[in-house]
Amino acid sequence: MSDKKIGVFICHCGSNIAGVVDIEKVKAAINGLPNVEIIDDYKYVCSKPGQQIVKDHITNSRLGGIVIAACSPRMHEPTFRQAMREAGLNPFLLEMANIREHNSWIHSDDPEAATEKAIDLIRMAVARTRLLEALEETEVSIKKSTLIVGAGIAGISAALDLADAGFKVHLVEKEPTIGGKMARWDKTFPTLDCSSCILTPRMTDVGNHPNIDLITLAEVESVDGFVGNFKVKIKQRPRYVDFDICTSCGDCSEICPVDIPADFEANLSYRKAIYIPFAQAVPSTYVLDMEHCLGVDAVRCGKCKDKCEAGAINYDDVEKTIEIEVGTIIVSTGFEIFDATKKPEYGYGEFLNVVNIGEVERMLSSAGPTQGNIVRPSDLQKPKRIVYVQCVGSRDELTNRYCSRICCMTAIKQARMIRDKTGIDVYIFYIDLRTFGKGYEEFYESTAKAGVTFIRGRVGEVHQNDETMSLMVRGEDTLLGKPIQFDDVDLVVLSTGVVAPESTQKISQALNLSLSPDGFLMEAHPKLRPVDSFNDGIFLAGMAQGPKDIPDTVSQAKAAASGAMALMGKGKINIEPYYSVVDEDKCAGCEVCISVCPYNAIVLNERGHAEVNPALCKGCGTCTSTCASGAITSQHYTDGQIAAMITEYLSVRE
Amino acid sequence: MTSAEEKTAIEIDTPDDSFVQMIKKTGGPNVQNCYQCGTCSGSCPAGSRTNYLVRLIIRKALLGLKEQCISSPELWYCTTCYTCTDRCPQDVKPTDVIKAIRNVAVAEGYMLVPHQKTALKVLEAGHAVPLEKEMWENLREKVGLERVPPNASRYPEAIEEIKKIAKKTGFDKLVAEKETQEE
Repeated sequence: MSDKKIGVFICHCGSNIAGVVDIEKVKAAINGLPNVEIIDDYKYVCSKPGQQIVKDHITNSRLGGIVIAACSPRMHEPTFRQAMREAGLNPFLLEMANIREHNSWIHSDDPEAATEKAIDLIRMAVARTRLLEALEETEVSIKKSTLIVGAGIAGISAALDLADAGFKVHLVEKEPTIGGKMARWDKTFPTLDCSSCILTPRMTDVGNHPNIDLITLAEVESVDGFVGNFKVKIKQRPRYVDFDICTSCGDCSEICPVDIPADFEANLSYRKAIYIPFAQAVPSTYVLDMEHCLGVDAVRCGKCKDKCEAGAINYDDVEKTIEIEVGTIIVSTGFEIFDATKKPEYGYGEFLNVVNIGEVERMLSSAGPTQGNIVRPSDLQKPKRIVYVQCVGSRDELTNRYCSRICCMTAIKQARMIRDKTGIDVYIFYIDLRTFGKGYEEFYESTAKAGVTFIRGRVGEVHQNDETMSLMVRGEDTLLGKPIQFDDVDLVVLSTGVVAPESTQKISQALNLSLSPDGFLMEAHPKLRPVDSFNDGIFLAGMAQGPKDIPDTVSQAKAAASGAMALMGKGKINIEPYYSVVDEDKCAGCEVCISVCPYNAIVLNERGHAEVNPALCKGCGTCTSTCASGAITSQHYTDGQIAAMITEYLSVRE
Repeated sequence: MTSAEEKTAIEIDTPDDSFVQMIKKTGGPNVQNCYQCGTCSGSCPAGSRTNYLVRLIIRKALLGLKEQCISSPELWYCTTCYTCTDRCPQDVKPTDVIKAIRNVAVAEGYMLVPHQKTALKVLEAGHAVPLEKEMWENLREKVGLERVPPNASRYPEAIEEIKKIAKKTGFDKLVAEKETQEE
């Protein structure tokens, strides 16, 4: 056995650990283990004095390995590694025994067994530490550019922050224009700012910024590489209109004979096959929807090309693959509105006069399909009575369990707009009103004062009078404890919640990101790393991570931009040396490792042996366990180290 | 009632969650998910014509007000159509909760007379629907059926077995006790 001197430090973590685990008993049990030179404990080893204790022991006793029995290495491994660096010890000679998350927290009902388990975990850590080797971190440079996926208000905010700071931004958007859902919304709560009035200047800034490369009609196909050096492949669909030449005059659209429902207008009006989604679109260029185009030759149609004086239309445009290299990535892919046909009792999709909040936003917009008038879709008449149903597709075990966070305030805002503009009777059925943001509660109060009636209870069912197309709405006023019924409702608005868009699944696969159970992208830590993903260099912003309103979305976008800047500003980062290495004397060149490596990190070198690219290797160990001749070692997780832990655990304790 | 009449607050002096635990075990594992939205009462066909409010009974159950729950005559207005169970956003399964409360009510002596009469009929004839009148037998014959249906009422030994089951499970006492109470 080597003469490596090991120091074991046991953290009380206040009462988190010491309140369950008998520290003195643990110390006695590990006392005398081979190689263990020092055993010490402290209230908070992670604190400044705690770290000093570790550092002092390293210097005074010339320790060659450290075991810290404390929390999860996810919490403080970097802290202790830094302390070791400062004391002149290689940081990879550290092993943490997790006696908090894996022990005291979950076994608080059985302190005796928890103490035994702590002893086991520390003994195993000591066994591994005996075999730990000093490793060198590789330093890699970081490309000073960012890929942002999704150009709603989140992507736009992050892009402008980064571009203003001097970083190159590639902003990828799958729609023909940037702006996302905010561009479709009429007003913002609680200030009633016009949504496009505050958004479109930001959109123009994006369009004009020299540091922003805007890639619309495009989706990320694949991402290879690692933090600082991502290689991104982007598929861009053809626009058929050259945006350097297009003057947005609209002649092409005027002559186009095709009418199809306009997605941007929530399908409440029509657009042409060659169109611009809305007046302030960026890029301000028309786009040809080839799927609905009659045909691009003179026999079938071809009218738009004839009409275009600038000659901007190119029927031969093709799909492009764009390859870029970036240092960091921000994912801001947004949300979709819940599909209310999944709640059949409310009649959405069956009754014309049942609509969702997205459709009302378009009606309320003066640039929208009804020029700002709220109407009954069945006859385009002004309604006399409107009922809102809250929590449709939210807080619901049958659809989505989470609260969508924006629908309460959106409904209150819409009700307020309708009431103030038209004096229509508006009733809002709610379960709980969640008006948590700055100025929200005050806005709710003033809306009640404006004459909007709030009824505490969820609507049970909606029926249609087939003659008048009016609706019967029945629910319970739970505060009165009595059923309540409206027989002549002109318009029922479902406060539909938000869901993760289908593209979330795709982007999570391309970037290897985790999803939360609700289908949104998962952050690395809900409190301390709320905009980081589990993959270094990839950040999340906006609704892609979960439901949130515009203020929270912009805050998150700014946070993600600052996270990306913090990485890129340094210019260089250290990569943990957890990659595989090949012993060429043992390698037979069979190439099995090459075929199983999920990261394409292994190649056959000129000597006919496997060679691992440390920058691409993620240290997953697949090659190590596949190699028939045992020629591959996973650094820091060697077979020997793991076997030693198992042997220690299975050996009889004295 | 006058406005000056004293109104007593609900007393929950000794928190007793055994009632809720019983409901959880016997039909409503998610009853504590209930956030009192009223979808059940707003969907209930019985509730649109009577004082029956599913939500209110569940509320009382969650507060441990067992006596109020089981003594309420509305408890028996549910037709078990299961509309509320289809629509409940919290998967409370209100119909099953009501059935669980009914079981407790019966065990504690709150049984409606018609139900008790029906139960007695089962013990007596092995069948809940009375078929002993001759007119029923004639009617059956007229539509081409046997005069006596092939169920327990044709086999006296089966009726004896039903009585045995009732005795073993205490069902006979449950019904009989009620009878003496009524008298």
